[in-house]
Amino acid sequence: MKTQKLPILALSRALSRALSRALSSSTSAAASESGPAFPVKTVTTANFEATLSELRHHVRASDFVAIDLEMTGVTSAPWRESLEFDRSDVRYLKVRDSAQKFAVVQFGVCPFRWDPSNRSFIAYPYNFYIFPRQDHMGLGPSYEFLCQTTSIDFLAKYQFDFNACIHEEVLKAYDLKLVTIVSSSEGLGLVYCLRKSILTHRIGIWLKQERDAMTSLNSTYDSQWSDVCKLKDARDIPLVSTADILFTERMKNRFSEWRDGLLREQNQEDQSQGISKDSKQQLQVFFFKMHPALRLNGFTSHQLKLIQLVIRKHFKDLSYVCVNSEASDLQQIVVYTDSKDEQNLLLKEVKEENCKAAEMKIQAAVGFRHVIDLLSAEQKLIVGHNCFLDIAHVYSKFIGPLPVTPEEFVTSVNNYFPHIVDTKILFNTNLILQERMKRSRKSLASAFSLFCPQIAAGSQSTDLGSPCHVKVDVEVDDSRSSSWNPGVKHEAGYDAFMTGCIFAQLCNDLGVDFKLHESSQQLALNEKLRKYVNHLYLSWLHGDIIDLSSGVKVGDSSPSQSLKRRYPKIVFENIAIVWGFPSTLKASELRECISKVFGSTSVVSVYHLDTTAAFVQFSKTEQVSDFLLLKETLERSDGPIAVLHPLAKLLEGGNTCAADYDTYKEICSSPLSESLFADQAKAFGIKWKTKLVEYEIAPVYEEHENPSSQSDLNTAVRYAEKAKPNIIDQLRNEPPRRQVSSGIADSYAAEANL
Amino acid sequence: MAASMFRSLFTTVSSSKWRVKQVTKHNFNDSLKELKTHISDSDFIAISMENTGSSSSWHRVLPFDTPETAYFKATRYAQRFQVLHFAVCPFSVTHSNNLVAHPYNFLLFPRDELKLGMPTYSFSCQTSYLASMARQGFDFNACIYDGISYLSKAQESVAKIRLGTAFPSLRGMKSCSTSTVADMVFVERIRSRIKHWRKTCENTNTSTSTSKDEELISCLRNIILGNEQFRSRPCLTIDVCSERQVQLILEMLVDSSDVLPLIVPGKGGTAQAIRIVLANSKEDKDLLERELQNLEEEENRKFSGFREVIDLISASEKPVISHNCLNDCTLIHSKFIMPLPREVDEFVSSMQMIFPKVLDMNHLMKKIGTARKVTNLPNAISYLNNHFFAPVDMEIPDQATVNEGKIHGLNALRLCYLFMKLCSILKISPSVAESGNKHLAPELEDFTNIFHPYSSNIQEPFNKDIKVWTNNTRKVSCENVVFVWGFKFGQTASMLKSLLRASHNIFSGEFDVKLVDKSCAIVVFWQPGLSKNFLEVMSSEEISGDLKELVSDGMRVTCYETYKTMCRVGLWDMDLAESLERTLESSQCDIENGSVRKTHDIHWYNENVINIDDL
Repeated sequence: MKTQKLPILALSRALSRALSRALSSSTSAAASESGPAFPVKTVTTANFEATLSELRHHVRASDFVAIDLEMTGVTSAPWRESLEFDRSDVRYLKVRDSAQKFAVVQFGVCPFRWDPSNRSFIAYPYNFYIFPRQDHMGLGPSYEFLCQTTSIDFLAKYQFDFNACIHEEVLKAYDLKLVTIVSSSEGLGLVYCLRKSILTHRIGIWLKQERDAMTSLNSTYDSQWSDVCKLKDARDIPLVSTADILFTERMKNRFSEWRDGLLREQNQEDQSQGISKDSKQQLQVFFFKMHPALRLNGFTSHQLKLIQLVIRKHFKDLSYVCVNSEASDLQQIVVYTDSKDEQNLLLKEVKEENCKAAEMKIQAAVGFRHVIDLLSAEQKLIVGHNCFLDIAHVYSKFIGPLPVTPEEFVTSVNNYFPHIVDTKILFNTNLILQERMKRSRKSLASAFSLFCPQIAAGSQSTDLGSPCHVKVDVEVDDSRSSSWNPGVKHEAGYDAFMTGCIFAQLCNDLGVDFKLHESSQQLALNEKLRKYVNHLYLSWLHGDIIDLSSGVKVGDSSPSQSLKRRYPKIVFENIAIVWGFPSTLKASELRECISKVFGSTSVVSVYHLDTTAAFVQFSKTEQVSDFLLLKETLERSDGPIAVLHPLAKLLEGGNTCAADYDTYKEICSSPLSESLFADQAKAFGIKWKTKLVEYEIAPVYEEHENPSSQSDLNTAVRYAEKAKPNIIDQLRNEPPRRQVSSGIADSYAAEANL
Repeated sequence: MAASMFRSLFTTVSSSKWRVKQVTKHNFNDSLKELKTHISDSDFIAISMENTGSSSSWHRVLPFDTPETAYFKATRYAQRFQVLHFAVCPFSVTHSNNLVAHPYNFLLFPRDELKLGMPTYSFSCQTSYLASMARQGFDFNACIYDGISYLSKAQESVAKIRLGTAFPSLRGMKSCSTSTVADMVFVERIRSRIKHWRKTCENTNTSTSTSKDEELISCLRNIILGNEQFRSRPCLTIDVCSERQVQLILEMLVDSSDVLPLIVPGKGGTAQAIRIVLANSKEDKDLLERELQNLEEEENRKFSGFREVIDLISASEKPVISHNCLNDCTLIHSKFIMPLPREVDEFVSSMQMIFPKVLDMNHLMKKIGTARKVTNLPNAISYLNNHFFAPVDMEIPDQATVNEGKIHGLNALRLCYLFMKLCSILKISPSVAESGNKHLAPELEDFTNIFHPYSSNIQEPFNKDIKVWTNNTRKVSCENVVFVWGFKFGQTASMLKSLLRASHNIFSGEFDVKLVDKSCAIVVFWQPGLSKNFLEVMSSEEISGDLKELVSDGMRVTCYETYKTMCRVGLWDMDLAESLERTLESSQCDIENGSVRKTHDIHWYNENVINIDDL
């Protein structure tokens, strides 16, 4: 934690509190008294095991658990950012893309427990540094994740320690291929959970996954042991090259020297070593389980095989063993034993230990998922701040591949975490809280300093005494504290703490009495909280809220109202998407040239997706298909009409494509992420039309577009017909106002069918 | 510079004692000046870079790749990953074959300094790769906090247009002889306007020196009349509405000795106005011009960032030494010059404009009689040290000024060392002095600009280390190569081979099987035409016997052409089999859609032989 460098102002507590109320928490930090740094437990591999049991205890006893994640990025391409023209299913696809591509680098968990004796909450903030890790030994593909430059820069601004994040010590999250991990030379990590299999039952699968890993592990070891003990492999090596013969001879001499030395030592108590100095580096003398042994370093696998052969052939009292110790890599050693029995005993012992060590490593490899497992098993109320993306990350990293539709995702999430509450929902949908938030920015830190000024200021001593403020103590490693310097913003542990504090305060404001609640489950079912629990913002811009327990989209009471005022109502049916036009074409020009054809009131709005792509919302649904049809005919005819036509400006360059809204959704669902939408569409099209590229090479580029736009058109028409057989005709006769509303109803109906 | 430390290295390489100057954004400008002189004094420049990942499994360039597919693979590599540090080491060879090297290591981070979403929106990281960098003690914090940013040439021009600082190019504008009446009127109007303005300027000039009150008055007058000043010289801004007008004004003022026209750029790279500055004299005008030029250069540096180093190397036209020429060059091209072209030929010619001569150490290594690839420079060096006696003296003059403990970017230095060692083993004098200028030795010319890690003109020597059936240097046309997948998991090449041999009499002749990844293998028919037969048999209905069994069990085959299409289209699934399957699927889809593949030239690269030696 960074200590504040700004001078400590000798301000009274009251003043500092007043200041902190007015300023954001980062500035209030300067005004607060210098105290101990905010206590948070940082968890790495070293203390993971111990922490886990401690955390389990705290979670079990807690009333609710706040979580927060730090990621390497949010959007993989500019057009993947959240836009006004994103329907909720498109929004979900964008969240899904984000969760699939970026890595989680920090995970903050903070259980909160109501302490009736002190009439305060006790928070236990944990900050896990996690990092995806998969060691590939030729078999599996290596795990890749995306970094968004601005996000990394943002983390850097808040002094995120990247070294700590990537360093060995850090918890490695899990990504299958346990076999490879175990057999890899450089230890292993904690890995993100299995991604590819369809999860029918999580515990079953988890167990199966672990069991599979164990089985394959055992088989590896069995084969390895058969190699080592029976030396099948070694027998196969014919000593052909003179180099091999010489090497074998040399090793034989060295081993016999060493062994003879040992025997002499036993007889004469002579301390002299049998190994000449120059070979000491390769053959390191030490004691292995009370037996004198040589550690073999720096040999190639071929040479090691030759050594095995030598040992087997010439030395009855030496044995070659391969040890997989807990701390380090596989070690090749040669051990001296006095008798045959002793030798067998040793071999058996080593085998058992190797298996045990590997088992331990697998247990450790499952790693951070234990925490998720724990949160899920305890069924506690999970508290997050605008946490839809966080939940998507948790799901994709530790539970399974993200489903294609938001409804499936939500029901699946509900199985793992039955109670989730979002603080952002709380203070945006509750009218009283909303009133308090009105003037404040909606960021976590500003909400924190607004709702919990005394905690944000770091000191909440008794003189505050106000019953309307919730008191929160922090306990780390059994030492409790109630005053500290504000923590580092955007550190997952502190962010989770802030979120939890806000939630506690909001509950207090809503009149939830913690004294009456004994378990978290009851808290979630509380009359006053119930309508907020399991509601998450699918799209913050639209205020689309989704109910996790039912999968139904809940109409929002009051989202970003300013937005609604600024933009005309969005009717997805009436939207055409156009891309690939010249980047110099402005929205106004686009509107103008379409208006020329379809009438001055035909275009409701034009919204740029990026420089060469835009949404055009028409006033009537059929104008979309009319527009697409017209575009297609224009492109087909090569005559002067095409050149002089008002749309010619839009079609300039011959790369302009257009489609209906559903094509946009399809393109969004693609795993690719080109930076320009036009490129993305091209790359996506290539997926099911390889000819595109080949056509492009040919001079007749424009021609190839026809089939595609034709098919777009067809799908558009088909879609329109399928979805609402009568509506088009109805709409034509209806007054415009009515159209809009029926359009909305329809778009939602269509969504529900998806 | 401190007294040069002389370090001679004979048979052992104590690379741990080498120090490389680490450059971050704090010392970038100073280091750049230093590097500039070092580059101009040097004979060669070794480069090496570390990225956030590397291609794995079949995504990396394999021996059976054609130059085309190899380029597609390299393109993907260059576009995905980010350079984290870039080591540059200009070095020269003295008369006594001593090596004088000046190693630098630049830490890079694509920070969006201009808030324009450039140089890169996002990049991929490979966890295992980052972890291994962390193990070597790479400081990610230093890299992200203090790394130098950059813009490619293409991005720079976009950024300038978007920020409205671009100077519209005037060179393209030819004076158009036909001047219309409107032009004449315009010119006359501007001419008289300038005349009046000059007059008022001269009046004020003569009167200002008199007293302080006058000064105040003139100052007030300037404010009231809207007289402008540019670098303490009076100036006049004339709004223009077309390129033609800009041209006319510039033509009008071209002979003037004390008036300097400057173009005020507007948004979108067009001229918004012309600012006419009145200088005191001809000398003053020149001074102003130079001043502005320096300013512009400084401004440019803000945009280009680290690219300045690439520009320096490029401008020097010195031979560049790399150890994975294809990957390094595609990376440099896409990050610092412009997006990679679609075709490999375009890339090669474009690259020649940037670095006229690139030497790949891999090809030089092959020349000395080892099939070993320089995947790992320390290994290559120790291999040479153990097998050849070729002492190389290396001198690093700036050692004393470098901080202790920072040893990143050693690879460029190792490259210099390796290069010298190879030259001395091969008895090549690295550079030939010719009429005062140093040239690359003709023996080395053969190794320049080979953008394929496996194919080179030099003969592959016999190598017994490689498995039994590959110990010949036979090459095969890719027409005779067939991709096979859908066999039982865990089957080895020899199991597959015997399975195939037993399945059909096509396999009675000589053929070989090589696994590409765990799910896919290639089958090489040494007898021409058999591959076609095989493909036909596999798709025919008369298929019978064991081969039928195999197909029933899911075995699929396709020709080399599918692989090429796949690389071109960019279907990069983790498993090769999956990608091939998808390529076949989509081509099937196209045929169904009625778009026959007539527009596509099908090349059967008969002349394009591939090397099976490394398979």
